[in-house]
Amino acid sequence: MSKLNPDFILEFSTDEEFNPNACINCGTCSGLCPIGLDALPRKLSRYIVLGLEDKILEEKESYFQCLLCKLCVENCPTQVNISSNVRTARNYINRKIYKI
Amino acid sequence: MKKDLKQKIGVYICECGGNISDYVDVEKVAKAVENEPGVYLVQTTMFTCSDSAQIEIIEGIKENNLDSMVVASCSPKLHLLTFRDVAKRAGLNQYNYVHANIREQCSWAHSDRTEEATDKAVRLVRAAIAKVRLSESLETIEIEAKNVAAIVGAGVSGLRSAIDLADQGTQVYLIERDHFVGGRTAQWGKLFPTNEDGKELVERLYKQIKERENITVFTGADIQSLDGSVGDFKLGVKISPRHITGACDEETSDQLYKVCPQETDDEFNFGLTKRKAIYKNYKNAYPENPVVDMDLCDKCGECLKVTNSNINLEQEAENITLNVGAILLNTGFDPYEPKDGEFGYKTIDNVITLPQFRRLLDMSNGSLEYNGKSIRDIAYIYCVGSRQPDGENKHCSRYCCTSAIQSALNVKSKYSDVRNFHINRGIRTYGKQETCYVDSTKQGDVYLQFFEKSFPTLEKIGDKTIITLNDALTDNETMEVSADLVVLVTGMVPRKEDTVAGILKVPIGSDKFYNEIHTKLRPVETVIDGIFIAGACQSPKNIRATMASTLSATAKANSLISTGKIELEPIIATIDTNLCEWCGKCDELCSYNAFEKVEIDGKMVAQVNKAICKGCGACAPICEVNAINIIGSSDEEVEVMIDAFVKDVQFIEDHKAKEAEKTVGKTDDTEKLKKALPEIGKKILQSLESEAKSVPEIAADIQHPADDVLYYLMSLRKYGFVKETGEINDDEYYLYELKQ
Repeated sequence: MSKLNPDFILEFSTDEEFNPNACINCGTCSGLCPIGLDALPRKLSRYIVLGLEDKILEEKESYFQCLLCKLCVENCPTQVNISSNVRTARNYINRKIYKI
Repeated sequence: MKKDLKQKIGVYICECGGNISDYVDVEKVAKAVENEPGVYLVQTTMFTCSDSAQIEIIEGIKENNLDSMVVASCSPKLHLLTFRDVAKRAGLNQYNYVHANIREQCSWAHSDRTEEATDKAVRLVRAAIAKVRLSESLETIEIEAKNVAAIVGAGVSGLRSAIDLADQGTQVYLIERDHFVGGRTAQWGKLFPTNEDGKELVERLYKQIKERENITVFTGADIQSLDGSVGDFKLGVKISPRHITGACDEETSDQLYKVCPQETDDEFNFGLTKRKAIYKNYKNAYPENPVVDMDLCDKCGECLKVTNSNINLEQEAENITLNVGAILLNTGFDPYEPKDGEFGYKTIDNVITLPQFRRLLDMSNGSLEYNGKSIRDIAYIYCVGSRQPDGENKHCSRYCCTSAIQSALNVKSKYSDVRNFHINRGIRTYGKQETCYVDSTKQGDVYLQFFEKSFPTLEKIGDKTIITLNDALTDNETMEVSADLVVLVTGMVPRKEDTVAGILKVPIGSDKFYNEIHTKLRPVETVIDGIFIAGACQSPKNIRATMASTLSATAKANSLISTGKIELEPIIATIDTNLCEWCGKCDELCSYNAFEKVEIDGKMVAQVNKAICKGCGACAPICEVNAINIIGSSDEEVEVMIDAFVKDVQFIEDHKAKEAEKTVGKTDDTEKLKKALPEIGKKILQSLESEAKSVPEIAADIQHPADDVLYYLMSLRKYGFVKETGEINDDEYYLYELKQ
């Protein structure tokens, strides 16, 4: 059971480039991901949109496994900046867990 | 009754470019029917419907002085009218022509049994010949039409229709059940995509109505009865009075609302507010005067004390009869009312429907509150009352996704701290409406999706309602959304209190909406001549689609009545008054109400209203004294057809002679066939003269769709005009060349 926290995304980033909301859940990114992330790129965006902090921390390895190859960004039909969003997420995890 | 039998019948048997002749041996059929009584001429043609074949038939009829004709080809649905026209052009009466269907009901249906198919074709053609022998010359029925139309329902659809019909010179009666015009659109607030208020649309249309002298608006009007038929309907209408007899300005109205002690739920605001017994739907509602609700008024007399109120509580309802040529129904829809407990409706106090939310948003000023509590988190649950897996509403209501998202955009632009959660079953913002979905994701709205196998559940905890669902977009993980207000995005359903349909006998479809003749090809006509349907009474529609359908109904009505006369098919039921003894069974059975009871020579008999009868034939077998005959399908005609059909078929076989004939007559035949080719066939041959081509290349060369080209090319191949070269081009298409 997860509780939605719509305010979370504000805490996460206020950068204009940060746009996981534009995702239409088509799954193109997940299909293309060359390393087949445990939590697929689509889900990484989804957790941020829904503000599921527990899930984000649970999947922290996935956020760091990403190669930032941008294959997904190139092919995203709604121009979600997936790699840049992943980096924003890394930044958040660094601050939150690793206290960097 | 002895009829003059037709003596010189022309029979034309179509090959349909192989569609018939591949399975039915048309030459055998021709041979087998040429000695039928009355037959003078039998011909087979490659495409009977082609222009050249039509001309040949016309010339043949004139040359040989034929008196009737039979065409054996495709379904009469396709070409009955074509060949009636041929008969007319040849100087015959168009009803001295009978159509035999040997394609859909013979060659296509029995493509695996060619011999039996040929046998059946012979029988079908013989039956047609037997029928045409008895045929009589008939004239189309011409009736007078009043260039007056009644439009039922004064929502945006009815208002628009009235303006357009009036501009085309028709006298219009606009009949509205409510005391104010505007219907649902007035309740809807700001509309996609321009944010124009529904009330503004209504105002704009109503002002145009006022400018036209040939429109009369009746409000508080209930339809009571309908008599007559197309061109001459008599519509009984009961007009409830407003009880305000003169002008009533705003100031006086405000005073009246103040003094009136009686209060009830305001239907216009879906019960969100209260109204008095003297009321208007909204401040600028039209017509301008308020109205007194006599069901609520107890005649206390307080309002009579207000100066200049012009109130008369004793005004009586009035019954009038409108004589009109056509009736247009624009009666609209009802929003779906959820059942008690459906997604917490009426059991959880902060659950409301989308129409309620739109009224709440429209009326809110400064802060968004419901039941005295301010609202921040709004959850929208989609497809309530639409696309029901178990309920009776299987349809998608088409407007609600856009309407809900538009509301979410409006509420956010009015109150920026609001957060929207869209709990949907797939968003259907089709066409241009997609932009509002994109805008809503940009403003940070969250979308969650559920499937019909697990609906969300609601629970009230403290001030919040918690919605639990399995989100399909996150691997069906269970999510909890906490909301201050839950909006049930309800769809459209047919009107609950619909008295009109019963009185007018409007056909109702299995989805309970009004039914058109053909969903695609005749979307605004009903089976009752002169009654048209438009807008959301036919199926769920947004305003744009409603306008398209109402303008189409307007055009159809105008073309029907504006010339002052209407032509109808003469194939109808007739009564033998010597036999009829009026038992009333035909009247009970007739779905069109075509029968009337009249007195002839001191005895009661049935009479058929020619303008109403459709010639469907349902009444003929029910008549116990056999007094009813359908013109063109009388007992005598049906009997001779059956006799002809069951007669033995013996083919005159002479294979060798036939083969010999084929080789000898080959060149002549080819030339003859070439002449009979349809235009496109000739073009294809021309195009292939220079070089071998593939189907797409021919299509590009002669500028015809490739599927048409393929169809005709295959016929040409079959008849030996072209052959394939055996090669393929770079795009891997077969090449075809002329066969020398």
